[in-house]
Amino acid sequence: MAIVTMFVAISTYVQTSATADDRRAWFEDVTHKAGILYRHHPRQFNNPYAAIMQGYARLGSAVAVADYDGDGFEDIFVTDSCATCKNHLYRNNGNFTFTDVAEQAGVAAGNDDENASTAALWFDFNNDGKPDLLVVRFGRSILYENLGNGKFRDVTAGSGLDRYMNAIKAIAFDYDNDGYPDLFFGSYFQPVNVFHPATSRFFPESFENANNGGGVTVFHNNRNGTFTEVTDRVGIRTTGWTLDMGHGDANNDGLEDLYVANDFGTDRFYINNGDGTFTDKTATAIGFDTKKGMNVDWGDYNNDGLLDIYVTNVYDDYMKECAMLWQNLGDGTFTDVSSQVGTCDTGWGWGAKFVDYDNDGWLDLYVMNGWVSAGKDNYVPDIFAMILRPNVDLTDARNWPPIGNKSMSGYQRKRLFHNVDGVFKEEAGRYGLDSLKDGRGIAVADFDNDGRLDLFVTNADDEPNLYRNILPTGAHWVTFVLEGTKSNRFAVGAQVRLTAGGRTYLQYVNGGNGFAAQSTMRVHFGLGALARIDSIEVRWPSGLRQTFTGPEVDHFYKIVEGQPSSSLPLWRQ
Amino acid sequence: MKKLLFAVIACVISAYTAVASPLADTEFRQAMAAIQANDFVTGLHMLELAIGDDPDNLRYASEYRQAIIRNKDFDRSVDFFGKMVASHPASANLHLNYGFAYVDKIPVAGSITQVLLANTALGEFSKAVDLQPSWLAYYTRGAAYLFWPKIFGRAPLGVADLEKALQMQRTGPRRPYYLHVYVALGDGYCKTEELDKARAIWQEGLRQFPGNQQLKSRLSMQGDELVKLIENNFDPNKRVDTDLREIWSAGQS
Repeated sequence: MAIVTMFVAISTYVQTSATADDRRAWFEDVTHKAGILYRHHPRQFNNPYAAIMQGYARLGSAVAVADYDGDGFEDIFVTDSCATCKNHLYRNNGNFTFTDVAEQAGVAAGNDDENASTAALWFDFNNDGKPDLLVVRFGRSILYENLGNGKFRDVTAGSGLDRYMNAIKAIAFDYDNDGYPDLFFGSYFQPVNVFHPATSRFFPESFENANNGGGVTVFHNNRNGTFTEVTDRVGIRTTGWTLDMGHGDANNDGLEDLYVANDFGTDRFYINNGDGTFTDKTATAIGFDTKKGMNVDWGDYNNDGLLDIYVTNVYDDYMKECAMLWQNLGDGTFTDVSSQVGTCDTGWGWGAKFVDYDNDGWLDLYVMNGWVSAGKDNYVPDIFAMILRPNVDLTDARNWPPIGNKSMSGYQRKRLFHNVDGVFKEEAGRYGLDSLKDGRGIAVADFDNDGRLDLFVTNADDEPNLYRNILPTGAHWVTFVLEGTKSNRFAVGAQVRLTAGGRTYLQYVNGGNGFAAQSTMRVHFGLGALARIDSIEVRWPSGLRQTFTGPEVDHFYKIVEGQPSSSLPLWRQ
Repeated sequence: MKKLLFAVIACVISAYTAVASPLADTEFRQAMAAIQANDFVTGLHMLELAIGDDPDNLRYASEYRQAIIRNKDFDRSVDFFGKMVASHPASANLHLNYGFAYVDKIPVAGSITQVLLANTALGEFSKAVDLQPSWLAYYTRGAAYLFWPKIFGRAPLGVADLEKALQMQRTGPRRPYYLHVYVALGDGYCKTEELDKARAIWQEGLRQFPGNQQLKSRLSMQGDELVKLIENNFDPNKRVDTDLREIWSAGQS
């Protein structure tokens, strides 16, 4: 990333100690003002099961954030889903306004009769320092190479990725630490053509133990612009209805582990063996659940130096499946503390992100929810009538009731769980973050480089919400932009441990965790009233560890792997 | 109302206190001794023999299900009572226990399976009502209806059953376990948004059972706090106490 501008703390900050009771607005919905003017359009299917699949068409409203043009400001890519709809690339103008440049950049395509965009991922597949773009689709996903001149080139053909999958999520991390990011796809349906299915039997076989979904497909990066499918070889064997995946180093061994959230059944947890393979540790680490896994995010919510995992499920009057906050016990096992700490009731959960929105040093959780907000009639009895029918074949789409204009878990208020010393309090309403739209993904990024994390929320069949963080407390912060040299260029998997005020905080670079969203790859720490940092330790995927002392708060710093450790340079653009 | 299904009426008591067959009684005692010693293999086997020899005996069936819960062998109980009901289709008590066997399994099941189990249990409770429209059968089915989410519209059915149970208990001598109808019926009225009726029935219950904490706490609450208290008691993930031991205590008192 070129070096130009220094982002120092906003001079207007009044650096007082954080006042959590401050009742002024902390977020401003600037969607339209910022020039974000699209709305998501669900895919309308044209097949014998269209009326049944209508609910499933409310997917594909996703967002991915990266600074694609290297100007120092995070840009936004969003997906639409209708056959004639375009995807959008919003270039950040640097003043909290955005311009849709998708057409000029060559990335607006993504939807047609045989493909529907479901998600997107920025990752540097060729390690040239420019984030490339993967458009994830029901159908054939597209890999765009970032040419560095504001334009992209479709390089899918010949990349090894050109295959039919009903993919709904992709993350990229370097599972074998060879310096290049590898690709993990999560697919919902099996690779049947859902637009024109040859059979009616392509729906989940069970509501609790379905194993006839698309599962996870792993592609190893060959370091020459191509990929090789290695799913079986690496030991990732799941055929669940995968909605999301998240990676993180569960045991602090320098290797990225994997959590897979499956709808209609059991989530999976894989430990990275360090030899290019994984071991399924579901039974011992988390146990077998029967819930509806929708989202995975990793973060150290209790600041104990171990990454924990948050998974949303479906929680409503008719189905009380708590979200799971898997507290990492440090011995290879996790325990679900969601009920104890107050993050159980998410409604019909979708994307959820750990985000320290108030810069107090504790990771909060923002959660999307709501499946279908439509007419007054409720779809729940229809679904249960099907379930209660003796010997019903759930795999047969013809047995599922059409949803028509009915609602199901609709009009739900989003949840913002504020973390106070490891216990959460729901406060979405207080900050105006309690929209009733059918939320899907959340991208967390500091779009104006002011040290306060903003939120971009996607909604199904609706406009998105861009919330500008205007936190008035003056809480301190620090942000790091990492660049690998021996490790992968964007340092995915690198951990940063910051020690201040007698406590050590852990953050890391993730390669796209979170349903229907990818957040910033910068590493941000909220520091609250702490005005002095004692030390920074970076653990690179290559195994290198570097320690830095005393960077000043309220600045951005760039850390290049292997650079001299006497001092940290301020990040300039 | 964790004590959803305490079997409780005169006819139930009589079912228990009726002279059991000597063979069944011997088997039961041997079974209980084995279970006391954590020998579930022997204990469960002997209890099945005892129930087989005395199918209407609620105590045998109740102790069997409690042992099953301790041993986490829920499918065995469901299978056993399924076979018993097939061979004794006219036994209301067996249908009740068959339903309880499903209820016992609910907390360890997934959310959709919970619905299937609850629905099957409800079917067995209805058969019990049809066979023997007793206080126990009405109370059991009425309380079971209240566990269903609002969207299914089953709370009014629960209220109707519990009102019948109340009517029955008002005509006889007071039993300690009649308390549960006052609590459940009030909860049912809350679910059907008849708060005045709920308070009235809880107050009537408090007159019958002065100082009862369940009733007092309900009467002391309003609004969301009350709703939360009640909903918390109908959480399918929490084990419902289906131990019928209260009947023996009452029968012996």
